[in-house]
This record gives sequence, C-alpha cells and structure tokens, in this order.
Amino acid sequence: MQLTIITDLNKCVGCKSCQMSCKEHNTSGAFGPVPDETPYQDPDGMWWNRIITMESGEYPNTSVLYLPKACMHCYDAPCVPVCPTGASYKRADNGVVLIDYDTCIGCQLCMWACPYGVREFDEEEGVVKKCTLCIDRLEDESLPPQERQPACVQSCPTHARTFGDLDDPNSEVSRLVQERQGFGLLPELGARPSVHYLPRRPAPSPVEREELEEALKERY
Amino acid sequence: MRPAPQLLVLTVGQGIAAGLAVALAALWSMGVLTHREAVWLVLLALLTAAIGGVASFFHMHHMAAARYILRRLKSSWLSREALTTGLFGGSLAILAAWSLFGSTASWAYVWWLWVTAAAGLLAMWVTAMLYATIPAVLSWHTPVTVISLLSLGLLSGASWTGLVLPLGDHVFRVFSVALMVFMLFVLGIKALHWRHFGESHGRLRAETGTGLPFAPYRLQDTGTTKPPYRMQTQVWPAIPVPVRNLFYGLIVLFVGVGPLLCLLLARLTGVEVLSVIFPGLVSVGVVLERWLFFADATHSSRVFFVDEPRHPSRVAAAAKKRAPVSQA
Ligand code: SF4
Ligand code: SF4
Ligand code: SF4
Repeated sequence: MQLTIITDLNKCVGCKSCQMSCKEHNTSGAFGPVPDETPYQDPDGMWWNRIITMESGEYPNTSVLYLPKACMHCYDAPCVPVCPTGASYKRADNGVVLIDYDTCIGCQLCMWACPYGVREFDEEEGVVKKCTLCIDRLEDESLPPQERQPACVQSCPTHARTFGDLDDPNSEVSRLVQERQGFGLLPELGARPSVHYLPRRPAPSPVEREELEEALKERY
Repeated sequence: MRPAPQLLVLTVGQGIAAGLAVALAALWSMGVLTHREAVWLVLLALLTAAIGGVASFFHMHHMAAARYILRRLKSSWLSREALTTGLFGGSLAILAAWSLFGSTASWAYVWWLWVTAAAGLLAMWVTAMLYATIPAVLSWHTPVTVISLLSLGLLSGASWTGLVLPLGDHVFRVFSVALMVFMLFVLGIKALHWRHFGESHGRLRAETGTGLPFAPYRLQDTGTTKPPYRMQTQVWPAIPVPVRNLFYGLIVLFVGVGPLLCLLLARLTGVEVLSVIFPGLVSVGVVLERWLFFADATHSSRVFFVDEPRHPSRVAAAAKKRAPVSQA
C-alpha cells in the first residue's frame, strides 16, 4: 500500500487553505506541534506544506500556476537510508515516511538528501520535521471514517486534492494518474515520489486577426 | 547550502590530522625523523583530530539521541563517519601514549603508525563519500568531491609538518619538489570541482522546469519563506558572482601560489619563519575552500526558491507579431 495525495493543478486556485489547515491541524495535532515560537514577529516559521506561485509560459501564453509542495512520501525516499539513527523511516504497511523525534539527532543530513526541500529544521527542539500525511488523522478511530484523511485534502475548497492508495490500481488516485498523465516533480533525481500532480490543460493558442479573416474568407 | 561552522571545523581538522598521520608514518618509516619530532607530530595530529571531533558533537542538535548514531551502519554514511572518525581518534590516542611512554624502536610501532595513517585515510574517505553520494546536492555529487577532500586533507597535513621540521631542513629539501607537484595537482582538482559547481548552478532552474509541463517558469512566491531560509538549511541565498570569484582567487593564492613561493624561498634562503607561514597559508586556504564548498553548493530544491539568478520577465516586452485576437 502507498498512501498519497494527487493535486489537480487545473483546480488549485492558490488560496493556501491547505497550507493554513496543515499548520492549524499540526500545531494542535498529536504528531506536532509545528513550532511557531514568535508567529507575529516572525512569519517565516515552519510550514509542512507551502504553496509555490509561478508565472508560467511565454508571452502571450502566460498564466499563473500554484504548486502545493509537501512531503512526496517517495517510494525510494533518499531521506531514509542517509539517517544515521533510523529516526527517518518509511512505514512498510502504508508507505508513509515519518520521523521519530525521540531518535532524531538533528544532523539535518536528511534535509540535504530530500530533493524537494520539504523537511524543515526545528531550532527549538533540535530535530527535523515534515509532513506526516496526517497519520494521526488517518489512524484516529475516534474520527468518523470520512474524516480519516489529511487536513489539507479535507480543507481544499475546489477539491483539487485527492487522497488514496496509489498501489491499488482501482483507487481514485491511480485512476487519475493513469487517465490524466499524473507526474512527479524532479523525476531525474530518482526518488520516485508517490505524490503526483495532474498537468494543466494548455490554454487555447491565440490566433492572429489576419489569419482569422483569411480563414473566414476561405470558408464563407 | 547554509555553511555550518561545526562541519567546517570537523572536515578541516580531520583532514589535517589524517594528513599528519600519513606524513608521520612515511617519514618515520624512512628513518628521517627524531623521536622528539615524531612525538610533536603525533600531538599535533591528536590536537587537530580532537578539535574536529568536538566540533562534530555540536552538529548534533538533539544530544539525547546521540546514542543511536551507529544504528544505520548498513546504509548511512554518517553512521559510518561516526565509527571511522572514532576509530581514527582512538588509534591516534594510542599512538600518542605509545610515542610518549612506550618503546618506539620496535616494528610494532611502525606497524601501528601505518594502521593510524590508514584509519585517517579511511575516516577522510568516508566523510567525503557522505557528501559525494547525495544526488540532491548537485554540486557535490561527483567523484571529484572525494579526490578534492582527500587531497586537500593530505596537503594541509603535510604542510603542518613544517611546524616541526624546518622548511630549510634536508627532509623538506628532498620532498619539496614532490610537494610542489602535489600542490599543482590539488589546484587542478579544485578547478575541475569548481567547473562542476558552475554546471550545477545552471542545471536546475525554475526556468527550465521542475518536471512540470509548460515551462519556462518564473517564481513569484515560495510560500512564506525568505532568505536566509531559517528553517530550510539545505538552501542559502545565492553567492554573488564577484564574491565567488574573489574566493576562487584567494583560495588559489593561499593553497597554491603562496605556499609554492614559500617552498621555493625556503630552498633558496633557508629562512626559518617560512616554516610557520607555509602551514598558515595552506590552512587559511583550506578554510576558505571549505566555506565555499558548503555555501556555494546547489541543492535541487533551489528551483523552488526565488533568489535564483534573475532573468528579466518577457511579459513586459512588446509583442511584435502575435497578439490575442481580442486586443487586435
Ligand atoms: S486549498 Fe486546494 S485550491 Fe487552495 S491552494 Fe490548497 S490545493 Fe490549492
Ligand atoms: S519528499 Fe523528501 S522528505 Fe518526503 S519522502 Fe521524499 S525525500 Fe523524504
Ligand atoms: S498531509 Fe497533513 S501534514 Fe501533510 S501537508 Fe497535508 S495537512 Fe500537512
């Protein structure tokens, strides 16, 4: 089993509610807290999910793209074998990559090894932290079954994010990746991320007025 | 990559100690060292190794978990580094005790000298492999990283023997030509390394894509972070080109040109103070080199940070030919 999140880049409107709900849930959740020592003085705190805003394409075919970036829960997670204490590990039963804060020495080697820069250093506790795929929610049997999914998936107002098992060929996430050419970031670095994105459909190509008039003349 | 002073001191200290251990084993085996000189070389190696070792402790930010550090010897180069650096320190400590209080005339002493030298080389190699085997740090992911760290360690250790053996001494006279050739080799390796660093700077850009279709991209917002990226130590604001070039110049001066002149002058004049200037220059050069090694390294996540080299937006440029129909 490989639990993962698929994000449809056509639907994401960059509202950052996944970024905020991640922070909110994990500041009060069982696996947290996300450190936030001086949130008003220093907004550059720890975020396990950051929305990157990019301007894409060439004029006049430009647009703005939002890319939510959290742990990719990689199949061949390079952050795991480099860890000297075994604090970083990948769960065999569901593929979620986690950190045991009690055995982490804070050497930050896993931060170098992660190609995506999603691990962040907690200066207060001296350990590295990152997205847990909200494992505390997934395994919380006191929650109703429909709520046992990541906070960022639940809070997305446009339903851009889908949660499920990528190893199950019949799951919704597998279907989306297969049918919509889901892709992972930086594939050349060999981490085999399980988190996939659904590519944006191209914007219609602009047509020059003369071309249009010519075409109209030919036809009518 | 944010340069960590602890790692700088660890790698430089370990290199000097291992270089000294190798030089000591070689010189003692050739019978050109007195007992007093050998003792001083061992103590210098022990001191530099201890400074590096103490610095490495400060790189652990959660000491309570330090007892687990050897758990992943099978896969983690950091576990292996802790083991091999510890073994090197231990063998140096035994060598120091032996040199001070034991008999140095036996074959067993020579044998232990070489064991210590091998332990030093092994520790340096493992440390270098730790850096070279991380694909995400594009600048380090090359065998040149290993050769560079090893050769600079050997050079700095060899230069520190100048503190015990005067450069005008007949031993240095014999070895100075070999040392000069080795310095030129080190400079060549550094040039190759910097070339790889330069290629890494250009390899990954938001502009060229991150796996996303419809490149090129221009980053507008990295999602609530700003230089110097306090929580994300794998990146560091890009070093301006003039500063980088200044570092290149200083390193060539301190590791190459300056020490070469020292050796030449020592051969010609025999002035004693050059024996102190020589290791001093090399050490400063190695510290500068190591700072740049960390600070200038390109991590693949740099594509998601806004301070990559600026390219002017083409949105503002007037379109000559193609324009949307609605504007025509
Ligand atoms: S909440 Fe949904 S739409 Fe908003 S940024 Fe997150 S994924 Fe995109
Ligand atoms: S995205 Fe980074 S932290 Fe997450 S599993 Fe992959 S390598 Fe590890
Ligand atoms: S899965 Fe949970 S921890 Fe991970 S980004 Fe989403 S809300 Fe944050």
